Amino acid sequence: MSLFLKSLKELPPFGQALGMVLDEADTGPGVAVLLPGAERLSGDAEDEVFHTGVILATIDNTAGWCIRDHPGYAEGTSMATLDLRVDFVTPASLRETLRVRAVCEGFDGDIAFVRATAETLNTKVLIATGQATFMLGTPSTPNPATPANALGDSLE
Amino acid sequence: MNKPVQAGSSSSSHALAQQQLIKMPYAVFLGMSLSVGPDGLETSTPSRSELIGNTNLPALHGGVIGSLLDITGMLTLVFLKALDQSPRLIDMDIDYLRSGRAQSTYGRAEIVRGGRRMANVRAVLWQDDPERPIAIGRLQFLLPKI
Repeated sequence: MSLFLKSLKELPPFGQALGMVLDEADTGPGVAVLLPGAERLSGDAEDEVFHTGVILATIDNTAGWCIRDHPGYAEGTSMATLDLRVDFVTPASLRETLRVRAVCEGFDGDIAFVRATAETLNTKVLIATGQATFMLGTPSTPNPATPANALGDSLE
Repeated sequence: MNKPVQAGSSSSSHALAQQQLIKMPYAVFLGMSLSVGPDGLETSTPSRSELIGNTNLPALHGGVIGSLLDITGMLTLVFLKALDQSPRLIDMDIDYLRSGRAQSTYGRAEIVRGGRRMANVRAVLWQDDPERPIAIGRLQFLLPKI
């Protein structure tokens, strides 16, 4: 695990709101994030399973972190998700904790490719697989010249 | 068979979608609401600090955008096919087109192909202008057994 991740103090607000925690004891490959079940993450008040969107969000977040953990990544470089594909293999009970692992499989300074899996922490059941592509070096601050359009076109 | 949408049943389909929304704690946590107009179902989600992913821009978290596409697609399916149980999302593919700013986000979806067991749904999100989407999603749902 890199110094970046060891010194990681700040989760994005949404990661914090969902309850994501970096798995600091993990030895790799890539980066692992834990997400304990909680009522607000439920997809159905009766079934008590993780909502698919929660799994997707954790995969998206972990994928971004594993790029920042890549040896070629220059600290401070901003990035944007271009696309994300997720297969929801098995519904996951909210009594479980999810572990999402993301591994950066390609990195060339402009683009990074990531694969991720989500499984239950204790029973090791595969919950979801994901594949994401990121663009690096996207604008990281609002453009003061054209505030109305700058953010909306940050990928263009 | 799934109950077909009948002429004049829009209000009961609206009620079914509303029921699905309020019994989904995660959708309530995101702060989503839905409305039904002449063009069909639309979701609306105000921004708040907990939904932010990048605090510098600031921008909505990519996981929020994916979740709004997911739930908009699901509620539209419930509405258009008058389902009284939730369909199950099997897989989903998101294209992020523009960063989501810290402001209200709106969503719509259409059934590209609805079969007996599966439905292929396309969902879209925008903020200021429906012609400038921030993200689109392709979703495959398994329909509830009748």
